[in-house]
Amino acid sequence: MATANHFCDRVTRRDALRVGSASLFGAGWGLGQLLSRQSIAAETSPPSDVSVIFLFLKGGLSTIDTWDMKPNAPSEFRGPFAPIATNIPGIEVCEHLPMLAGQMDKVSLIRNFGHRNSDHGPADHYMLTGYHPIPGFNPNLSPNNQRPAHGSIISRKLGPRGSVPPYVCLPRMHASAGPAYLGASVAPFVVEADPNSPSFAVPDLLPPLVVDPGRFENRKELLGVVDRFQKSGEIAANRGANAVNTFQRKAFDLMTSSATKAAFDISAESGEMRDRYGRNSLGQACLMARRLVEAGVRCVSIDHTNWDTHDNNFSVLKNDLLPLLDRGMSTLFADLSERDMLKKTLVVVTGEFGRTPRINQNSGRDHWGPSFTVAMGGGGIQGGRVVGKSDPRAEKPDGPAYGPEELSSTMFRLLGVDPNDEFYTPEGRPVKIAASNRVISELL
Amino acid sequence: MQISLRIPLLVVAFCLVGSVSAGADDTVRSLNFENDILPILTRFGCNTSGCHGKAEGQNGFKLSVFGFDPPGDYLALTQEGRGRRVVPTLPDQSLLLSKASGVVPHGGGVRIDRQSEFYQTLRDWIERGLPFGSPDDPQVVSIAVEPRERQLAVQSKQQLTVAATYSDGRVVDVTRLTKFQSNNEGLAAVDDTGLVTAGEVPGEVAVMASYMGQVDVFRALVPRSEPIANYPDLPEFNFLDGPVYRKLRTLNILPSGPASDADFLRRVSLDVIGTLPTAEASRQFLADDRTDKRRLLVDSLLARPEYADFWALKWADVLRVDRQALGHRRAYEYYQFLRTSVATNKPYDRLCREIVAARGPLSEQPGGSFYKVVTNPGTMASTLSQVFLGVRIECAQCHHHPFDRWSQTDYLGMQAHFTQMAFKTVLGGEVLISNPGAAVTHPRTGQEVFAHPLGTENPTGNPAGDRRQLLAYWMTADDNPWFARNFVNRMWAHFMGRGLVEPIDDMRLTNPPSNPELLDALAKSFVESEYDVKQLVRTICASRVYQTSSTPNDTNRKDDQNYSRALLKRPSAEVLFDAVCQVTGVEEKFAGTPAGYRAVQLWDSQVPHYFLKLFGRPSRVTSCECERTIEPSVAQVLHVLNSPEIQDKLSHDGGRVAQLERDVSDDGVVVDELFLTFFSRYPSLEERTASAAYLKKRPDNRRGAVEDLAWSLLNTVEFVFNH
Repeated sequence: MATANHFCDRVTRRDALRVGSASLFGAGWGLGQLLSRQSIAAETSPPSDVSVIFLFLKGGLSTIDTWDMKPNAPSEFRGPFAPIATNIPGIEVCEHLPMLAGQMDKVSLIRNFGHRNSDHGPADHYMLTGYHPIPGFNPNLSPNNQRPAHGSIISRKLGPRGSVPPYVCLPRMHASAGPAYLGASVAPFVVEADPNSPSFAVPDLLPPLVVDPGRFENRKELLGVVDRFQKSGEIAANRGANAVNTFQRKAFDLMTSSATKAAFDISAESGEMRDRYGRNSLGQACLMARRLVEAGVRCVSIDHTNWDTHDNNFSVLKNDLLPLLDRGMSTLFADLSERDMLKKTLVVVTGEFGRTPRINQNSGRDHWGPSFTVAMGGGGIQGGRVVGKSDPRAEKPDGPAYGPEELSSTMFRLLGVDPNDEFYTPEGRPVKIAASNRVISELL
Repeated sequence: MQISLRIPLLVVAFCLVGSVSAGADDTVRSLNFENDILPILTRFGCNTSGCHGKAEGQNGFKLSVFGFDPPGDYLALTQEGRGRRVVPTLPDQSLLLSKASGVVPHGGGVRIDRQSEFYQTLRDWIERGLPFGSPDDPQVVSIAVEPRERQLAVQSKQQLTVAATYSDGRVVDVTRLTKFQSNNEGLAAVDDTGLVTAGEVPGEVAVMASYMGQVDVFRALVPRSEPIANYPDLPEFNFLDGPVYRKLRTLNILPSGPASDADFLRRVSLDVIGTLPTAEASRQFLADDRTDKRRLLVDSLLARPEYADFWALKWADVLRVDRQALGHRRAYEYYQFLRTSVATNKPYDRLCREIVAARGPLSEQPGGSFYKVVTNPGTMASTLSQVFLGVRIECAQCHHHPFDRWSQTDYLGMQAHFTQMAFKTVLGGEVLISNPGAAVTHPRTGQEVFAHPLGTENPTGNPAGDRRQLLAYWMTADDNPWFARNFVNRMWAHFMGRGLVEPIDDMRLTNPPSNPELLDALAKSFVESEYDVKQLVRTICASRVYQTSSTPNDTNRKDDQNYSRALLKRPSAEVLFDAVCQVTGVEEKFAGTPAGYRAVQLWDSQVPHYFLKLFGRPSRVTSCECERTIEPSVAQVLHVLNSPEIQDKLSHDGGRVAQLERDVSDDGVVVDELFLTFFSRYPSLEERTASAAYLKKRPDNRRGAVEDLAWSLLNTVEFVFNH
């Protein structure tokens, strides 16, 4: 305890870089995970090898209309949708999620979920990091992280698996998906491109078209000739330079690795498979996420937007949004299961909050943090379960509730990361990986 | 040595601890909660912010973090938890003991062994009816580490002991209850028992000991194991070299040779003005045979407008030029104030006063804009302490600083300087005024705390007048222990790649400089120059230490602490991007700025730009220089290797590659020109031959081949780093 302190995380990073220089593949994407004593602790309890796909429905999915319907509530609450039976007796979901109804044996619903914030920026940060923002939070910054996002913590603690990056964001980086004080080496690899676009390609992963593979090899050879610090010892003696040098080799591996190329090459999927996920951004992002996890990525964070249904909630859900979610999410579960990957892949589907149970004057629903449902499956948790319940109007959890702290802690436990381990803020303050060590035990 | 030292120590420690808990008669009478019980809870981490010390406690049991509130902790133990935490009639049934020793399941695990003397002390205290102690009981007034200084061989060990002196003069060994921490674990690590183990890297390290809010430090010098026979006399260019050489000599390290003219030119240009020399400037400097050309170069750099751009950007980071908080116009005025201060070489103490004590219309006193970005008096105090003194007091907002002497009273005393301040809106803008201000009260004792600077006593009333002005004069007084030291340390770190104190804004007794003699000499000269920043730059750049080569030798390969070789420094995102634009000869057009603006001139850190963001431009949400990250990432490397943005600059018809290929037919000359442009040096014979051959082999696509060469140079460590 007494010696585990680092200010500004500096000692840690420097040590990390030094360790990194010694082991190329260990160093890989994020050097940091190698050094901290916490990671040593993690190494002594081997990680579980579970990956996570976090499907974030930005704006806030209306869970009273989907996962936790209240057909007996007064009409100003219940909305026009009807519940339907699923393949798990006793669990009902919205009639506009018929494909998901057939996959509910793989999905569990946490219906006693809620938190105290109903503003987009802070609630997003809360859900994506497990920490409520503290004063000084500026949601307009990007990244705006006061605490590291789940994926950055996973990168730091578990490091890369093979030549692919451990943490990938698509089709853009959410403003709260950053590494905060864990530093750039565990920032997400951002695929800033829509996998549904015909011209989809991962930026910077391959040389520009004008540079064909032969020419690139020539360039590399030339680079070897002019890199004098390689010979004179500066690279070996300077940690930062050593890291750049290591990353460069890593980048060459990445560019030439068929595994990586394949992982990002969504066109390698059959047209049938692509249709099955849905030819839209959400569906193709889910397919991409499955490919990435297959190739070794530990955390894929999908940022899907437009769920902020203040107006015409029901027509927008019915006509636009739920069909995408139904197809994309159900295919993801079915596909993971068919490939025998579901046990090793945790899927979390949630918005930053739910929506007001009382319908507003624009037939919409507004922000509602106090009570909503999180859907999870795979990664070793039991499917087909309902955890807790909300009150008869879904306004608040009925009985003890879970929140973002427990969601984080559960995710980390499943991934084999001890949520009690600590990182240090720039002020030297220890902060635990998860603010709670309580897990959602009903899922396990 | 280790063994022979340890055994007697443990015996001594046992006897002494024994005497505190249950030994001699005089202690049987008086177990004191604060003196005897809290240290045990602190030692075993019960009251850390991750466990029962966090704001909401842990599982219903809350202690004050690091035990800063003994009466509160006493109540939590004795009155709360339905009396189950401590049971005097059945001490072993007390949750305090049964949880801590793991008899009953405990979320925090087994902390205190049932057989240990700590368990016994806690048990005795419970059994004897939970004495709180009397206000007259002696208190810890100081601690002393033994030994205080020592030379350690690499990989050797040293046991530390810690003695606490109480107000009644009693001295007690508290080693086993002390927390230890090394300021450089690469050099030496310390375990919970105070056993220090030196690593394999030579250098100087400090190990902090803290007990009951008191701190002390052990300093160790770890020399390289092979002595150097016939250590040479080294040339000293100015007074900075002696202290470094003396240190290196004791460490058995030889400094690297002198930097070449080309390396010096590139290094000093990036360090002083954040701008690469052009090929033409490089050619001229290399051909110049005046003996004082390096000095003349520094003088010419200091006179350039890029000097002001570059340093204004640094100030704008730590002093938080924030367009979102200030609005466009005021942010620009604030930035211009900083830039003009740099350009006119305003004495540093005056700049500090113009911010700390700003008053009047903001249009005339743009330094006051700081208080529009940082709006809470406590944060003002802690931010300005960190920026201008390098002293971090924010921990002490809520509890005693765990590694320094600052208490909440010290924090509140600093805060009280800022409570008079208010903004008044008048015709034509806002005016910074002072009003009577609210009283600052200690949250625990409820007593009023009056304005007093760090390290002074809480007075009986607030001083008369504008308290920020008093603070500003205290800060910038010549004998302030931190002001000049903090600034010269920041500057030294900028030029040398590592501060004498690291982190550069964390100056405290327990984090001493790696070369105190040098820090003192720098600070003294800065004060004597009347805080002349340009003079300080000249002094540093004129030293032999600054002009050392980056190429390591066999003795200094592992040393990155003692300035035995030039460290490679990653330039900031803006500087690096400007360099990319300059070498490719293709300017960037940034959103919302006129054409020709360079990245270092962007006063608003929110101007969207992928490269700048990727390479670690800060968002300016804190005043820590550490917010500007220079950590590498694969995404950065990929961007320079592959991005269309970089390729466009390489293949631009109006760019350097196109122009060189068109104008210069001799392949060797093209190669020379590119090396001068990217590296400020001529190629080696081998580089020249290989590169020219590459061009010669591709007559049908010569432009592409020149592009390839430029691409290769761009992706070297030599280009991406300042060396």
